Amino acid sequence: MASTSSSTPAVEVEARRRKRKRAAGAEPAAAEEADAQPSKWRTRREHEIYSSKLLEAIRLVRAGPSSAPPRSRAVREAADRALAVAARGRTHWSRAILASRRRRFQAAHRARLRAPASPSSRQGPAASASASSSPPCEGASTPPLARKAKVLGRLVPGCRKLPFPTLLAETTDYIAALQMQVRAMTALAEALSAVSATSSGAGSSSSPA
Amino acid sequence: MSSRRSRATTVSEEEINELISRLQTLLPNAGRRGGNQASATKLLKETCNYIKSLHREVDDLSDRLSDLMATMDQNSPGAEIIRSLLR
Repeated sequence: MASTSSSTPAVEVEARRRKRKRAAGAEPAAAEEADAQPSKWRTRREHEIYSSKLLEAIRLVRAGPSSAPPRSRAVREAADRALAVAARGRTHWSRAILASRRRRFQAAHRARLRAPASPSSRQGPAASASASSSPPCEGASTPPLARKAKVLGRLVPGCRKLPFPTLLAETTDYIAALQMQVRAMTALAEALSAVSATSSGAGSSSSPA
Repeated sequence: MSSRRSRATTVSEEEINELISRLQTLLPNAGRRGGNQASATKLLKETCNYIKSLHREVDDLSDRLSDLMATMDQNSPGAEIIRSLLR
């Protein structure tokens, strides 16, 4: 069916715009992306987006297993996953968080039903992970610096084999995202504990004169 | 995917210093006296410690949130409110 001419022009315009954007942003991409992203974690809008995602994630945890001890870990992982989703997949650490979750989920899923499409889906996150690892330690030549860089690479998820400048950019974004995560979770915890405190306290709504 | 593109592998020291200074603005240690160049190692160490403390904070907060969720399972008016919020 030769229907290429009848494809929507809007789609073509989109693709062309994306290609032009990529070509234009080839060299300063590192600087621009590193500049745009850490500051975005400070905007109110991102905070709101993350808070709603966090609420959703906590709802899921609530509906899941009801054993007490692993719950905080489940909350932590749900919060991390919500954070990674909020990053919209443009950073290595967010992709690594989502990939590890997806891999574990798929492993459990595959154990139940033998899905024929699993090999291809398994290669997906693995391929992207291996494609992102470039020649190691470019720019961190001195040994103490290289050591610190390695420790840093272990702390930030998915950044073990990245070249040094990429590692720095990822770290900047990761720290800004973590700060937002702490702010959002603190606000949520404060709100919830205030609710439970006022209700379990006097119970009456009489205000002191 | 930006990782597929062949990026220029010559990274100048200037770029690295810029990245480092940008990282520095995020760190809570606002004492940025002179010697920006010489303390790259120290800065990385501070960064590692800061990330660890952020992780610890997130863990504490998730403990707190899971405790709050536990109180939510009881029958009190506050629990009702929380439940309706998280419904």
